Amino acid sequence: MATADDAELLKRLLSGEQQAFRELVSTYQSAMKAVAYAIVGNRHADEAVQDAWLSVVRNLSGFEGRSSLKTWLLTITANSAKNRYKQNRREVLLDDLPSPHGTIDPERFSSDGHWLLAPFAWHQDTPEALLTEDELRECLEQTLLSLPQLQSSVLVLRERQGLELEEICNLLELSLSNVRVLVHRARLKVFATVEHFEETGEC
Amino acid sequence: MLSCKQQVARSSDYLDGQLSFRERLLVRHHLLFCPNCRRFIKQMRLMSAALRKLPEPLPTDLEQTVERMMREQSR
Repeated sequence: MATADDAELLKRLLSGEQQAFRELVSTYQSAMKAVAYAIVGNRHADEAVQDAWLSVVRNLSGFEGRSSLKTWLLTITANSAKNRYKQNRREVLLDDLPSPHGTIDPERFSSDGHWLLAPFAWHQDTPEALLTEDELRECLEQTLLSLPQLQSSVLVLRERQGLELEEICNLLELSLSNVRVLVHRARLKVFATVEHFEETGEC
Repeated sequence: MLSCKQQVARSSDYLDGQLSFRERLLVRHHLLFCPNCRRFIKQMRLMSAALRKLPEPLPTDLEQTVERMMREQSR
């Protein structure tokens, strides 16, 4: 359902207020980009987002508020991306590229499944404290970019954008089990990166 | 009883509420007795929270995009 804020912003958009468009684009473009990236890849993601924005403008008066504005925008983006170009995603999905700092791989465990190398205790215990370090922030951004296409998009949509797993499945036309695998693989790689940073102070 | 490796394999599903009641109990039981895995889960939560709070830069093409949208609207 659309929120009161959504309705207010919509009214300003319909009256053609420039600042309202600025707010719309700065609030939602990165989520839209993550959706487009998952469907058409890096080369066409920006174009798909631009297509989506024009489509949003043309359909603004038809937005009925049955979903949130965000869900509506992401659905339009997914459709624009699919119209533009659909890759063979089967290969992409099964592709699991190594990450700069690896992952929590089987070598971390002994043959009976116990930790051989236990998780290193991080120095910080709140997200705010972790993020005070510029280098770690940059390192996280780099790691997100280094992940395979779908892993990166799914993690960004889940964590950074706070979408439910079911929403991600619907937008990207993936099964729930595939989305769960993608989120998990991506999280373990980001975990390994933060662990490496906390241990060495370097990305 | 789950091994640490099995606990790690279920960790995202545990955090996302995707486990069955029985599997969730198995994970909780393991965590109760394993400080290393408690640390792992705690740090997985911390990492998720950090990603959620990672500041997003403004889109570099903000002004051009806004201009294009306004032009489209006035057509």
